[in-house]
Amino acid sequence: MNQAEVDTTQLLKGVLDLAVLAVLAEADSYGYDVVRRLRENGLDHVGDASVYGTLRRLYQAGALNSYVVPSEEGPHRKYYGLNNRGRKALDQSAQTWVTLSNALNHLLNGRSNGHGK
Amino acid sequence: MASNDQANDVASYATSVRAALSDLPPEQSEILLEDLEDHLREVAAEAGGPLTERLGPPEQYAQELRAAYGDARPGGKRPDPALRDLRRAIDRLTTSGWYRQVRAFLPELRPAWWVLRAYLVVLVLTAAFSRNYNLHPIPNPFSSRGLLEIVAAAIAIVLSVRLGRRNRQLAKGRRMLAIAANIAIALVAVPVLARMGTFPSYAMLETGGSGQSMQGQPLYMPNGAVTNIYPYSRDGKPLTDVLLYDQDGRPLTIGPKIGDVTTDYPTGADGQPITNAYPLRQRHFYGDPVAAPRVALPPWPSASPMASPTASPTSSPTR
Repeated sequence: MNQAEVDTTQLLKGVLDLAVLAVLAEADSYGYDVVRRLRENGLDHVGDASVYGTLRRLYQAGALNSYVVPSEEGPHRKYYGLNNRGRKALDQSAQTWVTLSNALNHLLNGRSNGHGK
Repeated sequence: MASNDQANDVASYATSVRAALSDLPPEQSEILLEDLEDHLREVAAEAGGPLTERLGPPEQYAQELRAAYGDARPGGKRPDPALRDLRRAIDRLTTSGWYRQVRAFLPELRPAWWVLRAYLVVLVLTAAFSRNYNLHPIPNPFSSRGLLEIVAAAIAIVLSVRLGRRNRQLAKGRRMLAIAANIAIALVAVPVLARMGTFPSYAMLETGGSGQSMQGQPLYMPNGAVTNIYPYSRDGKPLTDVLLYDQDGRPLTIGPKIGDVTTDYPTGADGQPITNAYPLRQRHFYGDPVAAPRVALPPWPSASPMASPTASPTSSPTR
């Protein structure tokens, strides 16, 4: 793991809850599928164990409901979905994120503009 | 990779992860790791190749898991273990097969409840508007009262079923209201049902005595309950307003209500009812007076020992 990857991982940690909630808001999903969908959306460095642990924690905190879907060939899958509390948490976190990212973009733009000239 | 190797790989990887997290309290690690194997199998099936290649060493995986699960616990607030045990017990219950079967079956009983609640409402209303009426589980169709009850129940059932079918599409708030109303009906009906005597004599005792300022019950004789007394004179004339007292000088009282029969006591000059003047003036619920029975008077001996010696020896009983 090089330095860039470590940084990405550290940054991701803070917003992983938000990312997982956002994925589940699209559709109910099981652990490995959440990982896959996060990676499809460009979050390459998200750790499998981090997602798995995050799902468990959000579930324990009462933000998700879960149900087991038996499958004929593969292993049984534990699906997670947002409940009311999860949706509220998502709304709040999303708002925080937008505010934060706007502020950061503003800062970074200022820097790159200043730097460029 | 052969599926057998894959299974071994998953098992050994999971064992290592569990070992690295063995310091967690057991209930916590159980929740965290309960479907770890399923999850790892999924990864292995997708990726191919050994898990360590895909996920890194199990120790690191365990560290990441621990960090993601434990670090960002909101407010550092841990759920109360007792509460969590309860929640898990409920989870286990609600996912068990028989619970699902019961849950699936209960809606089938809805129409039965619609009928039952209509019956209960009529029963409760009957009990409320006639405190001493002798309630029966099935009203007597040959009394006007019972017939009224049956007709009311039939109408109520029709309304109740219609209401029940319509309520399926209710909004959430109204649905709650409807559920509360149903529970209220069930609760109110309980004391009424409990009061409903199954033994007639029991019911009579209760309706005769309960809640009345004047006490009174039927008299019990070896051949049945006595609800009125018809005195006759020696020569067979029916007597009225004969005052009867028991061996201790207490007024002998019956009634005032037995079954659907009501007694009208005459009121004395002091405003108090005279309860021991026989025969009692009784009427049925729907207003008809209770008719006096036909009686067979005994033939007196021609020389009555009670009569004075100067009485006429030719006097004979008349009817």
